Amino acid sequence: MAETVHNLLLGFSVALSPPVLLYAFVGCVVGTIVGVLPGVGPLAGISLLLPATFGLDATKAIVMLAGIYYGAMYGGSTTSILMRIPGEAASVMTCIDGYAMARKGRAGAALAIAAVGSYVAGTVSVVALMFLAPPLASFALRFGPPEYFALLILGLLVLAYMSSGSMVKALAMATLGLLLGMIGIDQMTGYFRFAYGVVELGDGIGVVPVAVGLFGLSEILATAGQETPPAVIKPTLRELLPSRQEWKESIWPIGRGTVLGFLIGIIPGSAHIISSFVSYAVERRLSRRPEEFGHGAVAGVAGPESANNSATSGAFVPMLALGVPSGPIPAVMLAAMMVHGVSPGPLLIKQQPELFWGFIASMYVGNVVLLILNLPLVGVFVNLLRVPYPLLYPGILVFCILGVYAVNSSVVDVWIMLVMGLVGYLLRKLDFEPAPIVLGVILAPMIEMALRQSLAMSDGHYAIFLTRPIATTLLTVGVLLVLLSLKSLVTRGLDWRARIAMAEKGEEL
Amino acid sequence: MLTTNRVAAVALAVLAVLVLFESRKLPLGSLHNPGPAYMPVLLALALLAFAILVAVYGGAGRGLSAVGWSEWRHAAAILGTCAFAAIALERLGYRLTMAVSLAFLIGVIERQGVILTLALAVTVAAGSYFLFDTLLRVPLPRGPFGL
Amino acid sequence: MTRARVLVGVVALAVVAGVAGAQGSYPTRPITLVVPFPPGGVADLTARPVAAALEKVLKIPVGVVNKTGAAGAVGMQYVATSRPDGYTLLLALSSISIIPEADKIFGRPPAFTVEQFAPIALVSADPTVLVVRAESPWKTAREFIEDAQKRPGQMSYSSSGVYGTLHMAMALLEHGASVKLRHVPYAGAGPALTAILGGHVDALASGPAVVLPHLKAGKLRALAGWGDTRVAALPDVPTFKELGYPEAEFYIWAGVFAGKGTPEPILTRLRDAMRQVVNDPDFKGAMDKLETPIVFKQGDDFQRFFDADARRLAAGVRRVGRIETK
Repeated sequence: MAETVHNLLLGFSVALSPPVLLYAFVGCVVGTIVGVLPGVGPLAGISLLLPATFGLDATKAIVMLAGIYYGAMYGGSTTSILMRIPGEAASVMTCIDGYAMARKGRAGAALAIAAVGSYVAGTVSVVALMFLAPPLASFALRFGPPEYFALLILGLLVLAYMSSGSMVKALAMATLGLLLGMIGIDQMTGYFRFAYGVVELGDGIGVVPVAVGLFGLSEILATAGQETPPAVIKPTLRELLPSRQEWKESIWPIGRGTVLGFLIGIIPGSAHIISSFVSYAVERRLSRRPEEFGHGAVAGVAGPESANNSATSGAFVPMLALGVPSGPIPAVMLAAMMVHGVSPGPLLIKQQPELFWGFIASMYVGNVVLLILNLPLVGVFVNLLRVPYPLLYPGILVFCILGVYAVNSSVVDVWIMLVMGLVGYLLRKLDFEPAPIVLGVILAPMIEMALRQSLAMSDGHYAIFLTRPIATTLLTVGVLLVLLSLKSLVTRGLDWRARIAMAEKGEEL
Repeated sequence: MLTTNRVAAVALAVLAVLVLFESRKLPLGSLHNPGPAYMPVLLALALLAFAILVAVYGGAGRGLSAVGWSEWRHAAAILGTCAFAAIALERLGYRLTMAVSLAFLIGVIERQGVILTLALAVTVAAGSYFLFDTLLRVPLPRGPFGL
Repeated sequence: MTRARVLVGVVALAVVAGVAGAQGSYPTRPITLVVPFPPGGVADLTARPVAAALEKVLKIPVGVVNKTGAAGAVGMQYVATSRPDGYTLLLALSSISIIPEADKIFGRPPAFTVEQFAPIALVSADPTVLVVRAESPWKTAREFIEDAQKRPGQMSYSSSGVYGTLHMAMALLEHGASVKLRHVPYAGAGPALTAILGGHVDALASGPAVVLPHLKAGKLRALAGWGDTRVAALPDVPTFKELGYPEAEFYIWAGVFAGKGTPEPILTRLRDAMRQVVNDPDFKGAMDKLETPIVFKQGDDFQRFFDADARRLAAGVRRVGRIETK
């Protein structure tokens, strides 16, 4: 403990030295700019900007990359709230209630809550990272394909809370998403599935173009031609800040989102994306007024935004403690370290303490910098809503195309966005909600891969899911949750979903 | 009654059948060793089932005639612009493509003044290029004459 | 669109014609080095210093563009179909010879063929090494192979994906040593490494640089290498060749290619430039940090290496065949 404090002091002495601080600041600014770009999230952000750091020395480069990464995390919520365009896959849930808040004139409040939630989550998860990394890391490594499969199946239960409409419709949309996720090379056998000679479809349909198309582009399509363009919102200073009530409603979602996100983030793989979906579901389940979700519930912004921030720091646990490229973002960070001659691995902490602890300390510093940077920016960004829509949407469209293209330098991604925009537009006309599709696209390749890897490990025996304690526990929890929800259906007759349906009928009558 | 739900259900069902048909070329595998077609077939069957459920219970939804399509011209123009951008991006380069797209949307579709249109089109296209390609080194395509 | 294309064509033709006429004039505008893999991967990390050094030598900007997708096929196809004018170059890994062969097995039109590229220079060639967890019972490669012979299909290995480089290395060993192992593919080399560290598989063939820190930390043990000679950083680890399995020869290599049909003077200029690149101190420093030894070959030398490697891999892919699903 004392040693940790001592090390942390060493770290801060590195992180607070003027040149390092400067690079942390530059990283945060750049990250925010890139993060605001629709589609470009933290992963794409740091991959794209990785080469720009090659000229620096190791500590500065790592600190700057950490800044870019955190900055992109913060920036991701901005376009989701203001324009219903997910800055990244993890911000999809923020699009729903964040945008609803913006339309009610609470954009400033939503942005501020998202920034504070991200700050709390970022800071708390770094503390957790520092003290819990070694024991948690070896636990995380025990997550093999069977455990992963069980976790993802549990993730599918989230669907029940994702939309306020009919359950069957949500399931149909999720299945559609899962089917879209089947496109591309079958990773277990090498067969091309539904690619029709388009080589670019080999890696499957990216989540980014799908999310930007379904949410962002479809919003423009549906709004631009309306007889009366959306009202220009002129926020006053007082409206920028969340009200006391909004703060009160956000505290617990932020706390829960932080813990949940961190735990999901630790697990190797790409599961961290589902942390915001899970958080949204949890908040809705626990809320006393679930019917407000989808119509601007502040908890629907606070929870997911905190969760996705702490999830991505959680992903650093196995990387820092064990030198394992445990997910896409840690893999890029590891590569950056290798470029600078830092050999990432279990010996890193001992051999280069100033780098390791400087990195940790810079995460604290970066979060503070970002909070200071972002709160005033709320005022700036909200003013975007003052731009008349006929001038605003062409610009949004340009940034959608830029963001989607930049991730892979692929025009095919722009086409996918276009098609998904049309699909989203039609679904909106037909009263279907698109969020479950995105969840499906995210989960499909992971679930299928995990299932088939597990079967490859066990030579085709499903018993592998019942002989490994973590996998068995997770699956049991899933079965219990399903049974519980069935029980409430039987005993109470009406659950919240039915109440919403009743309430909506009442409105219409 | 022809409701929005039922229209969507039919579309989903058609898609499901299409997927089933297209999966025939891929090996199905078995329960213990699922092949590449296993999950798609399973999912397509599920989609078909859900589509039927939506169609059966979807009579209470909004009637198709209640859906307004007043903005379809704008939507078509925006999708067209998007398609143009996708085709032109790697041929005309980022700046030309975006300037043309912006000028079309602002000037022709939204009927703004010529000066405002040109000013916005050029500034946004060149500005975003400068920010991302030049300053942040995110490579964006160039067109003829290095534009 | 077509007019723009024609215009580009005319400009490019003029440039090509100009170069063919007067050799010294290439290059006159920025060169793009296409990396078919995402930033941060081996290919990308090799390409960045190559581009930087090439920029110094040719005195013209050399930009790296990551065109990713379909295990590299997207970027490779892009270069194969680009105008062969020396302004679009490719940094490829061993998988360049695997992808067309795999396409052939599935009877689909190949995204590209190796004949569509003109080799310029080989930059590095690292043999893979066989690693197992430190607490596993196998102390030597011989013990590993003998155990695998006793229990066919029981011991497992992770790979970077079906027909990926790490899969091919193991496939060559399986054939060379007549053993049958259980293959669990992962999505990339990173997850494959995580899998062996987590104990979900028994073995992994990996590039030496990636596993070196884990070998030093005592988490993993290296049993043998796929190289012609031992890996410099692992002098005590024998090669499969020494152990009597000469068929298990495999390298993860990186090389620079241009499109087939690039005029000979431009190729010569690029080959000269690459010779200067590998002697550039900054480049050497960068490769040192990656713990990747520079192996430089060009001209006939590279062509021979490339052909032999392609033959080996083609045979390997054919032997693996289509992944059967019972």
